[in-house]
Amino acid sequence: MREVVVLGVGMHRFGKTGDEAVGNKSVTELCRAAVDMALKDAGVSWRQIEAVSAASSRFSGGKGWGLNGNDVVEDLGGTGVPVYNLSAGCAAGGNAFNVGYSLVAGGIYDMMLVVGGEVMPRGMIQTSGVEDAADPEFLRQRCVGMPGPSFWATLARRRMHDHGTTEEQMARVTVKARQCAVGNPYARFRKAVTVEEVLASPYVSDPLRLFEICPVSNGAAAAVICSAAMARRFTRRPITVATSTVATIAFDDALPRSLAGPVPAGPSLHTEARAAVLRAFERAGIGPREIGFTELQDNTCYYELAFPEEWGLCEAGEAERLVEAGETAPGGRMPINPSGGFVSFGEATTAMGVFQIAELTWQLRGEAGARQVPDARVGLAQTNGLGGNATAAILKR
Amino acid sequence: MSELREPCVPGLFTEEGGASLLGARCRSCGTPYFPAPSHCRNPSCAESALEPQAFGGGGTLWSYSVANFAPPAPHRFDEPFRPYVIGVVDLDQGLRVVGQMVGEAADMRVGARVDLVVAPIYHEDGKAFTSWKFELSRGSREHA
Repeated sequence: MREVVVLGVGMHRFGKTGDEAVGNKSVTELCRAAVDMALKDAGVSWRQIEAVSAASSRFSGGKGWGLNGNDVVEDLGGTGVPVYNLSAGCAAGGNAFNVGYSLVAGGIYDMMLVVGGEVMPRGMIQTSGVEDAADPEFLRQRCVGMPGPSFWATLARRRMHDHGTTEEQMARVTVKARQCAVGNPYARFRKAVTVEEVLASPYVSDPLRLFEICPVSNGAAAAVICSAAMARRFTRRPITVATSTVATIAFDDALPRSLAGPVPAGPSLHTEARAAVLRAFERAGIGPREIGFTELQDNTCYYELAFPEEWGLCEAGEAERLVEAGETAPGGRMPINPSGGFVSFGEATTAMGVFQIAELTWQLRGEAGARQVPDARVGLAQTNGLGGNATAAILKR
Repeated sequence: MSELREPCVPGLFTEEGGASLLGARCRSCGTPYFPAPSHCRNPSCAESALEPQAFGGGGTLWSYSVANFAPPAPHRFDEPFRPYVIGVVDLDQGLRVVGQMVGEAADMRVGARVDLVVAPIYHEDGKAFTSWKFELSRGSREHA
């Protein structure tokens, strides 16, 4: 395995169709902006890219087949490069990064482009794309009607039961997230909010409120990665990919993802996310307490409380106190989502794994401005996707 | 009961002899399933030996939430949309199941005893389309 580095990153500001951030730009235009920025940041030309690893979308572009990498290549000008289109629900961007990383680490290519972009339809994500009684996700939506926010809300309610978490404590996660986003030019929501404003926002799925759940967004992100040996020709301060991992859900996962499962003997955890992150710790030889900051998939503020505990970044039941003490802010002991997170960006579903790589890179270079984690040296990224997919990556300088 | 009732998806549950979910259990490893798969999916199971099993009766509310806004397709509901409670229930038979709750959120609490029922979730073509739901047990209702 060769050492792999991130040479350049790019992003298009996130927004909603028709707003000042994204207007009516197509997913191809959003991706183009992110890719141009990443290439310029890396100091390489499109013709030097040897392969493309892209996140497949079911919502935009890709000719309806998830061929989103092919769209990008067509737009940049066909050079005959190999294209890998990776589908993993909302974890697709993380999967695309993992495949790019693996191919460079394995010596197949020296220089690759990783990209993800979305133009999302309005409203809650339609999780099942088929009307098929053999599809458990179809049955779950037809027979029950449990969209993403209600799944997260049941977990949040259970946490309130187990740990005495209050609605105010959950609101404080959003307040912290939005404060970070004030300093992020790529965030969709860049206005600070108060606990009172969060608690005055309507329930989307009681106990979770509008300001505590990420909406869908349009946006794109890109990264140029290469071998450490090749990087020496381009930069003196590359960001090293300590590892990148992928995992899927375990049979004994007890969370209500489908219609039914066995009542567990032990705790109910996100087994796919935990497996990806613990595998990353192991492969990088970097323990949870050595992680300087984390970008995790905060579809709702609940995850900023639950995930750090599930991965050993802090003790079980400790997260609320850390939030209240400001320890999850960029200047704290356990910074979580200094970018502002999904709650501030909205979710451009398949772009998010690459979005995290961009933020980790800016933080590790010390280029994150007002949201900078002081002396950031090691960052963890994590995504989750429908179907029981998860990814993790650890970057360091 | 005058209205015509029809399951929203056929073959998953029944009202005859009491509400029950038509699932399966593996005789080898004891894993319960709903719906019934074609074979046991437990990677630690030595040999798949599925037999049909009906799941019903009582359980405990593990958690719940409210659909405050109408979910997107393929969910179906009666207009105007009325928020409903979604429960995650640990049936005494060892199966954790999601389903709509009969009743209001204010009456729910984690740990409450509930029973499986079959009830309409939407109406179409003059028929009531049913699904499985959970209802607070008599004792739980009184203490709520």
